[in-house]
Amino acid sequence: MAATTGRVFGKLLVRSVATFALMGAAAIPALAQNKDTVVICQTLEPPILDPSAGAAAAIREVTYANIFEGLVGLDRTSKIIPRLAESWTVSDDGLKFRFKLRKNATFHDGSPLTSADVKFSLERAVAPDSKNTQKWIFEPIAAIATPAPDEVEITLKTFSADFLDGLAWGDAVIVSEKTIAKAATEPVGTGPYKFVRWNRGDRLMLERNDTWWGGQAAIKFATFRFITDAQAQVSALLAGDCDANTNIGAQEAVPQLMSNANLKVNVGRTEGETIVAMNNAKAPLNDVRVRKALAMAIDRRLVNEGAVSGLGTPIGSHFSPNHPAYVDLTGAIPYDPAKAKALLAEAGFPNGLNLTLRLPPPAYARRGGEIVAAMLKEIGVNATIEPLEWPQWLERVFRGKDFDLTIVSHVEPMDLNIYARDNYYFGYTNPAFRAALAQTKTAKTEAERNAAFAAAQRQIAEDQVNVFLFMLPKVTVAKKGLSGMWENWPLPANPLAELKWN
Amino acid sequence: MRRALSHPSFMIGVVLSAAILAVALISLVWTPYDPGQMRIIMRLKPPGADFWLGTDQFGRDVVSMLMVGTRNALMVGLVAVGLGLTAGLVLGMLAARFQGSFLDEALMRSLDFVFAFPAVLTAILILTFMGPGLANAMIAIGIFNIPVFARQARGAALQVMAQDYVRAARLAGCGTFSILRRHVLPNIAGLMIVQASTQFALAILAEAGLSYLGIGTQPPNPSWGRMLNDAQTFLSRAPLLAIFPGAAIALSVLAFNLLGDGLRDLLDPRLKER
Repeated sequence: MAATTGRVFGKLLVRSVATFALMGAAAIPALAQNKDTVVICQTLEPPILDPSAGAAAAIREVTYANIFEGLVGLDRTSKIIPRLAESWTVSDDGLKFRFKLRKNATFHDGSPLTSADVKFSLERAVAPDSKNTQKWIFEPIAAIATPAPDEVEITLKTFSADFLDGLAWGDAVIVSEKTIAKAATEPVGTGPYKFVRWNRGDRLMLERNDTWWGGQAAIKFATFRFITDAQAQVSALLAGDCDANTNIGAQEAVPQLMSNANLKVNVGRTEGETIVAMNNAKAPLNDVRVRKALAMAIDRRLVNEGAVSGLGTPIGSHFSPNHPAYVDLTGAIPYDPAKAKALLAEAGFPNGLNLTLRLPPPAYARRGGEIVAAMLKEIGVNATIEPLEWPQWLERVFRGKDFDLTIVSHVEPMDLNIYARDNYYFGYTNPAFRAALAQTKTAKTEAERNAAFAAAQRQIAEDQVNVFLFMLPKVTVAKKGLSGMWENWPLPANPLAELKWN
Repeated sequence: MRRALSHPSFMIGVVLSAAILAVALISLVWTPYDPGQMRIIMRLKPPGADFWLGTDQFGRDVVSMLMVGTRNALMVGLVAVGLGLTAGLVLGMLAARFQGSFLDEALMRSLDFVFAFPAVLTAILILTFMGPGLANAMIAIGIFNIPVFARQARGAALQVMAQDYVRAARLAGCGTFSILRRHVLPNIAGLMIVQASTQFALAILAEAGLSYLGIGTQPPNPSWGRMLNDAQTFLSRAPLLAIFPGAAIALSVLAFNLLGDGLRDLLDPRLKER
């Protein structure tokens, strides 16, 4: 009996040793394969994958320069670089742009990129039924001519200083007429990575496009994972489940992450103006005195400290300090609760007032919201916090305009033009501002243009459209062996072709 | 009384519950600081002379927040259990009186349906429909308490109604309502009180869970569950921040459970004779 048992155990032992050996054999190539895959974690999941048909920045965070490309693009230093257009010329009056397309650029379905695709894409973007959220880019276009399959000529109605900048945005990508109908869920672009699979609520998988005009990217398989919870993001990094995180939500974890020998942490800049947006179209916030009173009650330095561990840069208008035309207006309305109370009384609210504060999920908004609510309470303003998920926020606040106050970061670069839009969610209209902004487009010299930008910045600060808090920091965390992550965000993008394992 | 004093775990429960109640009452008139007052430059301070249990990520005083959180937890327990008890008692007694009727079946089977879902899951479901918030959380917790009380009330009421004195009362011409009120209710009250104290502990736990998930008590009102969630991100820098609200939850659940167990031992007539 004992002998039998022994033999059985012996057999089991042999088997398990064999199993371990097999596992070991499998593990070695798996490790080596690691150099061929990368898992990038980010906070928000895109609602759709067509960058030309949605407002959510997450769409472009995953698609820009990965799946889709424009004629031109922005590089990590915010410089305009050629993408699908290998070169271009501009007429002396600045009205005619002639783009020469790359001959070897093809869509992922194999069809070659032609000037007809460019014409289709740009005309589709500005069409009345277009869902593009940056129509201003295409509105100056008078006509698009296609003299040759690799040549596009765009004529503008009026001079537009930021036309080429706009074409570099993720909203101006070139798509194919054949595949655009399904682009929301199965995007087909020209970029260095092809769409493979999207597991909603979890991850998006991409594979290298081996026939990309720019050559082959270093890493074959790339995955974007979506982790909303700030603490879970940190845990995933520490556990090695993420090779990198594009911008962590828990800034207070920076010291902890920095002390980890396997990770490198970089605190960089974004173009994300983080604001307490106010409903300018609705009483009582349609009264500039009330808006000014709220601004005086909010100490943006403390909000920056408490919401993003002081890593943001305070701002006094909706303009990035990274731009040469920036004017520091943080001192324009100093923190002064006593004066705020007086102003509120003058506006007819001596006993304070009740407002709603609807907050989207990111930590900067939820935490910032708690601080803002506590600060407003000091002047008798009772801000009722209501946490919302992104789809609800987009539906109720952004599209439905059903809010008094909200906190959000506007991550696009040079997005001052949102203050000139009809029917934008915070409901601001001022012809003086629109005139100043128009001047930035018609200005012929840099100095003239910057002066117009300065006037526009001052105007919205003076009208106190929103309470301008700080520029959102970009805290990039990556494994030590991974290089190439963008450390600053001239626009929210994560070009995978620039990544490599060392 | 002597039996109560010689029941150690009951006495521990009584003392702890009384202490928790005292803290909640004191918080109505006094806390060391305003629990909502932020001092961002003094955030994440360790326990010390100024702030006995330190400050949180916004520089709020943890002691003050815990004290007001106690009040919050007790209020949720009281309202939710009160709601569940009242509705459960009425429905249970009705079902017992009309035992075997369609009403009985319909009532008990629909309550079984609610009971089939895990309690916190029911509450999350209800809050998803009604929207997050303290008042809705109390209602949600109250709703999943209804079947617990209804089942117990029905069973106990059936036992009482089978007694001779109830039959005698009925023969003497007493109406349904008067029988339920004069004979059934006083006889099942003890049992319901025992159940209520256990459910009270569960309600506190449920509120903490819902607030932890962000769908219970909303800021700026302090809640143990939310304090725990907030503290989580600062675990490496200020581990105590998570331990204090965690201990508060554990202690109060323990207190009300001990109280409930003790009451059951003391009020159960079968145990009385031993």
